[in-house]
Amino acid sequence: MTISTEPMDGGITKVLLDGRLDIQGAAAIDMRMNVLAGSSKFLLIDLSNVSFLGSMGLRSIVIPAQALRRRGGKVALLGPVPMVQEVLNASNIGEIIPIFHDVDSAVACLC
Amino acid sequence: MKMDVSQDRLELDSRLTDLARVQPWIEAVADRHGVADDARFAMHLCMEEALVNVVVHGYGEEPGHSIVLSCRASEGSLFFTIDDRAPSFDPLAQAPPDVPVRAAELESMQPGGNGIRLLRRFAGSLNYERLADGNRLTIGFPVASLK
Repeated sequence: MTISTEPMDGGITKVLLDGRLDIQGAAAIDMRMNVLAGSSKFLLIDLSNVSFLGSMGLRSIVIPAQALRRRGGKVALLGPVPMVQEVLNASNIGEIIPIFHDVDSAVACLC
Repeated sequence: MKMDVSQDRLELDSRLTDLARVQPWIEAVADRHGVADDARFAMHLCMEEALVNVVVHGYGEEPGHSIVLSCRASEGSLFFTIDDRAPSFDPLAQAPPDVPVRAAELESMQPGGNGIRLLRRFAGSLNYERLADGNRLTIGFPVASLK
């Protein structure tokens, strides 16, 4: 599991996750995600290269996302593959973090 | 140490870090039975959620206890069995099937909380048995290539 970031227009930080967000994957990104939640305003988390997502991985996204929201920031998810989307749906993640399949809509939501 | 993934049985220690050995084991089982990608995803997900539950809730994250996984093919499905020696704990009683999780609860939820809901959603069948000295959870997945 790797995590990298790239700045976008409008003060958005794009977070690129790549690999399996299982227990080991979650442990690999936790610290970086928490730092990003404490130092960013808008996070666009790109899930398109995440091939697996379990509940431990979900916590690694939801906990920093909620922390950022409490500071007045916003988070959106981008491009989950169908099985990852099913995990997000089964956990009702859309209630608290919007999920998009195109960048323009996600950016419009964040700014 | 090289791991032998050729067997339909795997013994784990009750530590979250030891669960890393499960993924290659499931892949090897799935390869042998020609399991498609979506079914593999469901197998990985359900086994991870069930095993997190055993380690965190069953054993209270205390290492040094055995968890034995086994797999068998029968009647068009693959059945994974998880045997542990933890105190009696029925994970299926923890999350009723008809109560959806509220996403806002996820951050305060203990590891494994939402996992049981995912287990219910992605498993083909689930069966819990209380054994004389532990627990047995059997998770079934329909596999097209076995039919």
